Amino acid sequence: MSETLTEHAALLAQSVGDFVQHGADLPRVRALAQNHAEFDAAQWRQLAELGWLGVLVPESCGGLGLGLAEAAIVAEGLGRGLVPEPYTAVAVLAARTLEGAAASPLRDELLAGLAAGSRLPVLAWQEQPDDFSGLQMATTATPFEGGFRVSGEKRFVIGATAADGYVVSALAGAEPQLLWIPRDAAGCSTAAQPLADGRCYGSVSLRDVVVPREQLLASGATARGALDRALDHAAAVTSAELVGVMKRAHEMSLDYMKTRVQFGKPIGSFQVLQHRAVDLHIQQELADAVLREVVAELDAGPDPAARARAASRAKSRCAEAALAITRAAIQFHGAIGFTEDCDVGLYAKRAMTLSAWLGNGRAHRARYARLSAPGAREAA
Amino acid sequence: MSDWNALGDEAFRAEVRAFFENEFPAEYKFLPRRMRWSECRGWYLKLSKKGWIAPNWPREHGGMGLSPSKLLIYYEETERAGVGRMPDQGLTMVGPTLIRFGNDAQRAFFLPKIIAGEAIWCQGYSEPNAGSDLASLRTEAVPDGNDYVINGSKIWTSMAHDATHIYVLARTDKAARKKQEGISFFLVDMKTPGITLRTIRNIAGHEEFCQVFFDNVRTPKENLVGELHKGWTIAKGLLGFERLNIGSPRRPLQALEKLEMLAQARGLTADPAFVERLTQLQLDLADLGSLYRRFVDKVRRGEALGPDVSMLKVWSMDTYQRLSELLIEAAGEYGAVEGEVAMGDEAIDVLSPFYNSRPGTIYGGSNEIQRNILAKYVLNLPS
Repeated sequence: MSETLTEHAALLAQSVGDFVQHGADLPRVRALAQNHAEFDAAQWRQLAELGWLGVLVPESCGGLGLGLAEAAIVAEGLGRGLVPEPYTAVAVLAARTLEGAAASPLRDELLAGLAAGSRLPVLAWQEQPDDFSGLQMATTATPFEGGFRVSGEKRFVIGATAADGYVVSALAGAEPQLLWIPRDAAGCSTAAQPLADGRCYGSVSLRDVVVPREQLLASGATARGALDRALDHAAAVTSAELVGVMKRAHEMSLDYMKTRVQFGKPIGSFQVLQHRAVDLHIQQELADAVLREVVAELDAGPDPAARARAASRAKSRCAEAALAITRAAIQFHGAIGFTEDCDVGLYAKRAMTLSAWLGNGRAHRARYARLSAPGAREAA
Repeated sequence: MSDWNALGDEAFRAEVRAFFENEFPAEYKFLPRRMRWSECRGWYLKLSKKGWIAPNWPREHGGMGLSPSKLLIYYEETERAGVGRMPDQGLTMVGPTLIRFGNDAQRAFFLPKIIAGEAIWCQGYSEPNAGSDLASLRTEAVPDGNDYVINGSKIWTSMAHDATHIYVLARTDKAARKKQEGISFFLVDMKTPGITLRTIRNIAGHEEFCQVFFDNVRTPKENLVGELHKGWTIAKGLLGFERLNIGSPRRPLQALEKLEMLAQARGLTADPAFVERLTQLQLDLADLGSLYRRFVDKVRRGEALGPDVSMLKVWSMDTYQRLSELLIEAAGEYGAVEGEVAMGDEAIDVLSPFYNSRPGTIYGGSNEIQRNILAKYVLNLPS
C-alpha cells in the first residue's frame, strides 16, 4: 500500500514504474525470453545511470548508500515489469556480500564498477537445494604460495550468463573463504540451465582454478557473516520482486473479470469469483505489509537470528502469495490464460522462478520454525 | 488524571501489567465463557474508580484518551492477564456513538452512567429475519406524543440478560425509497414495560445471548440518537472500529498460546508434519500483526478507516478458527473431552477456543459479507 511510503519513496516508486512503462514493456521481455537471453546491455546501462544498481553501494564507492527499503521499491517495480536483468542478484546479493567483505582495493573496485554498470559481479555460493548459508559447501580452496587453487561446482547462479566474474565461496580446511574469480579464468566454465521464465541458472564449474592471493575478499567469520547477511537481504528483496509480480498479475485478473462477459454479465459479478479474488487480495496485502515491516527491520541491523527469521517470514508469505495469485490468474482468464500469448503466463512463470530461488516457501517456513521454536508471539 | 500517552510504551505496559496481575480476581482468570455482570461487577468498578474503565474514550468524557499504540498495549495486557470480556457494549459502542453522533444532553446523562457501571448496554441490531441483510430489519418505532412506541424483536443480543439498556435500530419510515433509509437509532431502558427476554443457549452450552421482544415499548423522543431516519449512517460509522477490534491478533493469540502449550506437553514439536502446520499458523498470525499495525497506524494519523479494514476481520477470525481446529487435532483422543484436560503440568480446555472462535466469522457482518464488501468497494468488481 503506497500510502504508507514516504514522499521520497513514492517518487522512487513512480520513477521505477515509469521505467518499466507500468508493465507495458512486455514485448522486450518476451523477445529476450524466447532466446533464453536475460540481459540487455542498454537496459543495464540505464539501470546504472538511474543509480539503482548502486542503491546499496556505499557513497565512497559511487553508490547511493541507501537501504533495503529503497532496494525493495526498485525490485518491486522491476518485478511488476518482469524485467529479467539480474537486479537483485547483482545490486543486492553481490553488493551486500562485497560490502561485508574485508576492505581491499579489489573490493572497492568491484563495488564501484557494480554501481556504474561497468562490472557485473555475481555471487556463486550454492551447491545444494534448500541451503541457506552455504553450510553444505564442498568447493575447496587449497592454499599454495601466492594464493589458492579452487575446485567445485556451484549451482543456481542467477545472472551468470551476463556476469564478468564470480564471488565464489570455498573452504580452505574448515575455514570459509570468499574469492574473486573472473569468468574467463582458466578452469572456470559456465553452463546455462534454462528456467521456466526464460532466464537461466548458471552452473559454474571450477577445476583447479588458480586464484592469486590479492583476489581473496574475505575469510572465516568475515566471509561467513558477509554471506549470511547478503543472503537474508537478497531473500527480502526477492520478496519485493514477488510483490511486484503478484500485484500486476492480480490487476490483470481484476481487469479481465470486469470486461469478460459470459451468461450476459461480466464474470466479475459472480460471487464465487469475487470471493476468490478477495481472498487473493488479502494474501497480497499481507505480503505487502510483511515485506515493508521486514525491510525496515533489516535496515535497523538486527542480530543474525532475528534477521534470518524476518527474511524467512517475508519470503515464505511473498512466495506463496505470488504463486497463488499468478496461478489463479491463469484460471480467471480461462483458456486464454493457458496460451503463450497471454501475459499472465509470464507472471506465473516469473513467480515460480523467484519463489524457487534462495529458498522457497516451504524451506523458509522450516527455517523459521527452527529459529523460533517457542512461538511467534513477539512477532504478532 | 495522568496523561498516559506521555509515558513510554514499556513503562505504561509495566504499570498496566502489574495492576491487572495483582488486582484481577484469580478465580475468573481465563474463564472459558463470558463473565456475567454479577461476576465482573467488582472488577468493573475497580477499573472505574482508577479511571481505567474506558481506555478508548477521550479524557474529557472520563476515558483514558489512549493513543492507538497505548490502547493496543492495554488490550494485550488484558489478554495476557486472562481478564475475560465484560459486558462492554457501552464502552465500545454506545460511548463512541454518543460522543460522535449524540447531543449534549444524551452525553451528560448516559456517559457518566457507563463509566460508573450503572448503565450496562446490549446491542439491538439483528432480527430473526434480518441477519446478514441487516437493513431489512422490521422492528418499528412510531411517534406518539413525547415518545416513540417500539414493536418487534431483536435476536443474538449478547448479555441482554445482564443489561440495563439496549440500543436499537428500528424502522421509522416504511415508505423510504431504499431499505437503508428510514432506519433510526434509539436508546431504550430495559426496565420499560413491554420488554421481555428469552435466553438462548449457545453451542457450548452457555447462555450468553438472548432474544428481546418489544411490545408497545415507549422510549422518550430525547432518546433518538442523531437525525430521524439516519440511523443506518450511525451504525455504519461504527463498523470500522468494530472490525479493527475483531481483526486484532488478540483472540487468535489466545488459541496459539494453548496450542503451543499443548504441543510442548505432548512432545509434538518432534513431529515434522505437525511443526509444518503449526509454523504456517504462527506465520499467519505474525503476518496478521503486520497488517493490523498498518491499520492502527492509519487511525493514529487521524485517517478514517475505509472498507479495506474488512480484510483484517476475515483473516483474523479465519486464522483463529484454524488455530482452534489444530488444537483439537493435536489433542488426539482428548480433542473430544469437554472441560479442562490435564496434560503434563498443564490443564488445557481444548474445546473452548473452538467454540469461542465460531461466532467471529458470523457476527459483525459474516466473513462472506466482508468479502462482498471488499469485492465491491475495494476491488471495484461489478454487481
